Amino acid sequence: MAGLKTIIVLSFILAIGFLLVILSAALYKNFLTLLVVATYVIAPIPNWLCGRASSQDDFMDSGSSSIVELGRFMTGFLVVMGVALPVVLAHCDLIRPEAMVMSIVGGLLIYGTIISFTMFFHQEEEF
Amino acid sequence: MADSSGHRLFKFPKPQWMTSANTRNAGVYAAGALFSIALFVFIDAATFSKSNLNGSEFHVNFVDWIPGIFSVLGMLIINSIDKSRLSADNFSYSGDGVAWKARVVLFMGFAAMAGGLAGSVTVCLLKYVVREASWPALWFGVANIASNALIMLSSVVLWVSQNMEDDYTYNLAL
Repeated sequence: MAGLKTIIVLSFILAIGFLLVILSAALYKNFLTLLVVATYVIAPIPNWLCGRASSQDDFMDSGSSSIVELGRFMTGFLVVMGVALPVVLAHCDLIRPEAMVMSIVGGLLIYGTIISFTMFFHQEEEF
Repeated sequence: MADSSGHRLFKFPKPQWMTSANTRNAGVYAAGALFSIALFVFIDAATFSKSNLNGSEFHVNFVDWIPGIFSVLGMLIINSIDKSRLSADNFSYSGDGVAWKARVVLFMGFAAMAGGLAGSVTVCLLKYVVREASWPALWFGVANIASNALIMLSSVVLWVSQNMEDDYTYNLAL
């Protein structure tokens, strides 16, 4: 099944992402970068919650409602926060620059795999 | 850009990508991203001021936060208004007296936001430039201005993207 290879690759990338973030905290003995993981795990939640709030069976919907847009706004906010927070911390010398790079890359990998998993399973349901 | 009878103001036709739903979603995400950048630019200035890299005698205190608070309040007010209330049509649910109230509230939102931007320039000038702050202490003032300008830009992007007409929506006005 072609889907199995995708799942394996995505899980591998997710593991690498987590490894990078945990290393960025453990190597420099500074656990502030773990906030990035928390941010990227929370980031899809507003989108998901507000997507549930929109009407389910509306084929011809009257445009996005404000709640859905608020959820999208907050998700965009949290995704950029996951990048901006390490930059702020590194600029103020609270974490090392290498820890910043590792946590940004790891966080983006984690978020990318969460989104890919969501899209992958959503497409599977349509059949 | 177009009045309700469909005649455009400009000679060039409206590009196809401007009316799709994806552009609208991208605009909302972009507005969230800009707001996040604005907030973290200012948090960077505040954290730098508190950190041990700050060797100067300038510090970020509550006065620096006031223009940002006004800008965010203005953005909340502006983007919470139901835009169809702004038109003065007497049919449907925009009854008598709602249009001008909506316009007054919108004006107050714009005033709060512009006041925030102007206030940030004032704070930067009076608190940092006049007292001859050099870099990196000058960053505290510049970050304040940049943050308020980005909040304004985020509000503009959100307003424009919420006003984009889809092919499937029926907008009464604006």
